[in-house]
Amino acid sequence: MNNEKTTIIAAGAVIGVIASVLVLFGNPVNMGFCIACFIRDTAGALGMHRAAPVQYIRPEIIGIILGAFCMAFFHKEFASKGGSAPMTRFTLGFFVMVGCLMFLGCPFRMIVRLAGGDLNAVLGLLGFFGGVLTGVFFLNKGFSLKRSYRLAAWDGYVLPAVQVVFLILLIAAPAFIFFSEEGPASKHAFWLISLLAGAAVGALAQRTRLCMAGGLRDVVLFKDYKLILGFVAVFAAALVTNVVLTLVTGTPYVNFGFAGQPVAHTDGIWNLLGMYLVGFAAILLGGCPLRQLVLSGEGNTDSQVTYLGLLVGAAFCHNFGLASSGEGPTANGKIGVIVGICVCLIIASLNTFKKGDK
Amino acid sequence: MNTFYATFYSHFGAIRFKRLCDDRGIPAVLMPVPRSLSSSCGTCVRFEAEDFAAVRPYPEEMEQIARAEGAGFEVCYRAENA
Repeated sequence: MNNEKTTIIAAGAVIGVIASVLVLFGNPVNMGFCIACFIRDTAGALGMHRAAPVQYIRPEIIGIILGAFCMAFFHKEFASKGGSAPMTRFTLGFFVMVGCLMFLGCPFRMIVRLAGGDLNAVLGLLGFFGGVLTGVFFLNKGFSLKRSYRLAAWDGYVLPAVQVVFLILLIAAPAFIFFSEEGPASKHAFWLISLLAGAAVGALAQRTRLCMAGGLRDVVLFKDYKLILGFVAVFAAALVTNVVLTLVTGTPYVNFGFAGQPVAHTDGIWNLLGMYLVGFAAILLGGCPLRQLVLSGEGNTDSQVTYLGLLVGAAFCHNFGLASSGEGPTANGKIGVIVGICVCLIIASLNTFKKGDK
Repeated sequence: MNTFYATFYSHFGAIRFKRLCDDRGIPAVLMPVPRSLSSSCGTCVRFEAEDFAAVRPYPEEMEQIARAEGAGFEVCYRAENA
C-alpha cells in the first residue's frame, strides 16, 4: 500500500512538471493540460464547430489514449469491454463538457489553474467537491449503470485506432482540417513534444489510476487518500515548476488573483456550478475526463462512448453559444448547466436501487 | 484462514455484499480495489474465510473473487463474460 502511495505521488509530480513545461514549449498559460479544452480544440479542427480561435488537433489527447493503450497492452490489462448504459454515458459525457466549458477547464486544468495562482479555480474546486458529494450520496443509495461485458476483441481498439488517424491528419494537415491562427488553439508546443507528453501522462495515469473525481470519492467513502495525493502532487509540482520558470525566464508563470487570469472568467457562482455539474456527472460515470481517456485506452468502450459525448458536447457548446469566454459565461451556457444538473439528477434517480436495503 | 477480495460492478453491490458477510459472521471490510488486483478503481470487499464458497450464492453485481497470495492474487471466481 505504501508503495502504491509513493508511486502515485511520484507520478503526480511528474505529470505536474509536464503540465507546466508544456506552457514553456508553447501551450497557453495555465493550460499545459486540459482534457476538455483539448477535446474541444480537436472538435474544432475536425470542423464540428467553427469557433476560429479553438481549432487544433491536440496531440496530448492522442498521446494520453495511446500511452494508456500501450501501458495496458504491455501489462496484459487491455480488454474490450462495454455495454454498461452507453447512451446514458454519452449524455453524461456531453454534460461534463457543458460544465467544463462553463468553468473553462476540466478537473485537471482546475488544478493547473490553481498552480498558476488563478483563485477562480478555488470556486471551481468547491463546486466540484459538492458535485462529488452529490454523486456519492446516490452511490450509497444504490446508483449503478449496470455491469459491463467482454466484447468482440477488436471493439476496444476502435478509439485508439481513430487517434492514430487523427495524428496522421495533424501531421499531413489536409485542407479540410482547421488550424487556429490566433487564440488559445494557435498556442501549442511542437506536435511531437505534445504527443510524448500526453503519452507519458496516459501511461502514468494508467498505472496509478489517477482520477480527480475518484480521489475525492475515495476520501469521502473510505478516508483513503491515495488517489487524491496524486493530484496534490500534480498541484505541488506544477506550482514549484511555475515558480522556477518565473525565476529562470523572467516571465510570470504564477499570478495570484481573480482578475486577468488567462482563459478564465471571474463569475464565481457559475465557476462553482459548472464544476458542480462536472463533479456530479464524473461520479456517475466512475471517473473524471482524464480517467475516461485512460479507460478508453484500456479497451473500455463505455469510456470511448463517453469520449464521443465529450466531443459532441464541445461542438454543441461552441455552435450554440454555451461556452464561456474571458468575458464571462453566456445565458445559453447558464441554461445548459442548469439543464445538465437536472439531467444528472434524473439519471441518478432512475438508476438508483430502490428495493429494500439488502 | 484465507484473505479474499471481491470486486463489483457497482459501489452498492459491494455495500450489499458487506452486509451479507456481516449477517453470516464473516469478517469483511469495504475498501478501494487494490491496484495490484485490477486497473479498475471501484469498491471491493476484503473478507476472511477458509473457502470463498462461504459467500455463495454469488451476487449478480459481483465481478470476481481473488485470494491474496503473498504480494499477488489468485482469481478464484469470475462472473460470466467479465
